Amino acid sequence: MSAAGRSAFWHSDGRRLSGFSALLLLCPFFVIIGFVFLYPLAKLLVISVMEPEPTLANYAKVVTNPVYARVLLRTLWTAVLVTVTCVVLGFPVAYFMTRIRSALAAVVAICVILPLWSSVLVRTAAWAYLLERHGLVNTGLQAIGLTDGPLQLLYTQSAVVIAMAHVLLPFMILPLYGALRSIPNDYMRAASVLGAPNHRIFLEVVLPLSLPGVVSGSLLVFLTALGFFITPALLGSPQELMIATLVSQQIREVLDWPFAAALVGTLTLFVTFLALVFSKTLRFDRLMGAS
Amino acid sequence: MTRAPINKGSLALSAYIYAVLAFIVIPLVIVIPMSITTSEFLEFPPTGFTLKWYAEYFGDRQWVRATILSLQVAALTAVLASVIGTAATYAMVRGRGRLASLFQALLIGPIVVPHIALAVGLYLVFQQIGLSGTITGFVLAHTVLALPFVVFTMAAALGKVDPSLEAAAMSCGASRFDAFRLVTLPLVLPNVLSGALFAFIISFDEPVVSFFLSGIRQKTLPRRMFDDIEQNLTPIIPAIATLLILLSVAILLGAYVLKSRGKR
Amino acid sequence: MTDEANKPSAAGASIHIRALEKRYGPVRAVDGVDIDIAAGEFLALLGPSGSGKTTILMALAGFEFPTSGTITVDGEDLTYLPANKRNLGMVFQNYTLFPHMSILDNVAFPLKMRGVSKAERHARAQQALATVRLEGYGERTASQLSGGQQQRVALARAIVYHPRVLLMDEPLSALDKNLREEMQLEIKRLHAELGITVIFVTHDQGEALTMADRVAVLKDGRIQQIGPSRALYERPENLFTAGFIGEMNFIDVDVQAVGEQFRVALPSGEVWDVPASAVVEPVKVGEKAVLAVRPERLQLGAGDGRYSLHVTLRDIVYAGAALLLIGALPNGKEIRARIPGASNLGPLAIGSVATFSVPKDAALLYRGLGQ
Repeated sequence: MSAAGRSAFWHSDGRRLSGFSALLLLCPFFVIIGFVFLYPLAKLLVISVMEPEPTLANYAKVVTNPVYARVLLRTLWTAVLVTVTCVVLGFPVAYFMTRIRSALAAVVAICVILPLWSSVLVRTAAWAYLLERHGLVNTGLQAIGLTDGPLQLLYTQSAVVIAMAHVLLPFMILPLYGALRSIPNDYMRAASVLGAPNHRIFLEVVLPLSLPGVVSGSLLVFLTALGFFITPALLGSPQELMIATLVSQQIREVLDWPFAAALVGTLTLFVTFLALVFSKTLRFDRLMGAS
Repeated sequence: MTRAPINKGSLALSAYIYAVLAFIVIPLVIVIPMSITTSEFLEFPPTGFTLKWYAEYFGDRQWVRATILSLQVAALTAVLASVIGTAATYAMVRGRGRLASLFQALLIGPIVVPHIALAVGLYLVFQQIGLSGTITGFVLAHTVLALPFVVFTMAAALGKVDPSLEAAAMSCGASRFDAFRLVTLPLVLPNVLSGALFAFIISFDEPVVSFFLSGIRQKTLPRRMFDDIEQNLTPIIPAIATLLILLSVAILLGAYVLKSRGKR
Repeated sequence: MTDEANKPSAAGASIHIRALEKRYGPVRAVDGVDIDIAAGEFLALLGPSGSGKTTILMALAGFEFPTSGTITVDGEDLTYLPANKRNLGMVFQNYTLFPHMSILDNVAFPLKMRGVSKAERHARAQQALATVRLEGYGERTASQLSGGQQQRVALARAIVYHPRVLLMDEPLSALDKNLREEMQLEIKRLHAELGITVIFVTHDQGEALTMADRVAVLKDGRIQQIGPSRALYERPENLFTAGFIGEMNFIDVDVQAVGEQFRVALPSGEVWDVPASAVVEPVKVGEKAVLAVRPERLQLGAGDGRYSLHVTLRDIVYAGAALLLIGALPNGKEIRARIPGASNLGPLAIGSVATFSVPKDAALLYRGLGQ
């Protein structure tokens, strides 16, 4: 740095903070992120490749061992199912919100955002009560006559999918709603006056123009679903583990830290990689505005 | 034809929508009636009303201890995250922006990285330095998770404040810190409080990291709830859940009101 | 193939709007409108915002259903028919070309909705593009075209299926001035070539007067006047139209006598005899009335067959082809005169007393208080 540059670092130019002051204010942030976020993750990464000796065996175990490979596939498949469910349930709601008057749309929006105002634990617990043998779903099914006796709904992978879809639905609906709302009304009117009935307006104009929103919401749901812990832990079967619950088992019961670290490493690298690739579509700062 | 025709398609769509909305809302509200019925299962019509589940919650030492721990952690997290987050955001908004991309990348980190990864990593590290199961440990972990939300809130708020206001104060002789304290801070105070409330509720409800960091004696409320749901699924959970929902709604309404007041 | 054989067989449709009303709660956006539009006519709906002109167009298109009244096109009652079944053409203010389709697919879209085969609809779309002189642009997308080109594509898309009515919702407002005049000519040319009925909504009176066969002036949901441009300009039927179309001087006068001549006293003391033919709204002796005079009918200095007005010059504005003189009557009321730019003002300057004069039949008389 030149002498002028060095001096500029220490002094404010009036409006802007001096480089020194800015750095000082940023220190706590970088320190806490460094020690409490980066360092633990780095340590895990190191363990996964360095223990018991420098090796990739831990990662190999993840994919080659059929038991663990099945866990990976199950996690991927569950995440896909949850994403598809969220699209099927969420797209019509988001579309509906754009077609109705703003007063009603606000009510619907509150219904959609309401689940976000309670913790994952509360929502998962609610599903536990709904799906247990004496729960509302079973009594409802028996009342309609679809089954004779209570079904085993809890502690199955289906319970996990349903509950996760419920938890993640707002993350699909909100970006979708944003994308749909940005389609000017005039496009639909133009299509209509040119002869398109409602379903063709949807197929030819609305759907293609809303695809970025679908991608964005799907990505968000998919990536979050991959790393989910609470819901699979509470509602899933111990025979059908997902990555997060497998990690928990490895750490708390089997005490195989290097392998657990490799699992975490795989998950984190995969999710981070995808998030980077699609970083433009995801637009995180916009998402925060939704809350 | 005398009146506009009714679209059958949109009737079917509306029915589907209301079904989905029911799907969304019912699990949420179902814990409320469950928390006051005498029976252990939800039945229609309800067998009787009682507040015994709430009494059991408030009367149990372990539950109360867990609740107090969570409240302490949440309060400290709110303070720590607000201070660190506001300072950092101020530096980014008023500074020269040289570290902007690094800052943003680190900010998104806690959001993108699955909580299980962070939880496991922190469990490992905190075990080795003795922070596992301590209030300090919980607060540090939750602060990291809450920081991005505080920063987003403050970035929006500080971005709306005209930098000339501080410059004017400084030209009147105030130091940078005084200018911030006397001019900017009052303007963004609602947003600071709003961010603090977000941080509070994020910490109070946080289940994954708490799960791994909780020790035998020091359990947060979410960890205790997790154990109870996993092992017993007792009726006390709906009571606690109802209280949590009410708390979340109150806090988030408060944050929303503050945010809209800050917009003026 | 000759041009004759290629000419679309559709001529224009006749439209009858009867007692059209559109209410939003207590607000009457359209308050009882009757219009008869002849086949092939170019009608402009002109008015300030909130006048109801856009609402009428929306009702014609089918995007709004009226609270009461009927709309008949070529004898068919369309009032509550869904927009996509009306077979009308429409052009929007913001072009509204579909961004995810090529230009050719945009123009072919209405044909696709009508089940025309791909090969044929592409061929007809190319023809439509040729009509607006954009052949060869088919493979581009809307973002690659300028505003004027996009509007022409929108036109091509609106006529490719030979509708008998073309609705235009302030289509030129988004273009800049030079482009606007070019597009006005383009639209007129298209109208002449195709012979369809055109309903053109605008807030720009210059545009309305130059383009349309007839102009309907709207205010607060009601028609103030409907007629050819010349009639609107030279004999506005009420004070609103008189003030809305072009520039107008309004002078409050007292009516002293009625008959073949109406004697009116001006506030500055002059007394004029206005012929009965120049009385637009009936007035009685002793009532207050308003005299309306176009600035370009005023001349500097007295003359034969002309009434005079004495003013104190407040401002002289040179505008190249014309000189704008602003003079004040003794009661402070401003009178504007437009005279040729090359006129010799002599010793007159700001502050001097000057004489404006107007031909005896160039002033119109209306009822009521001045504006």
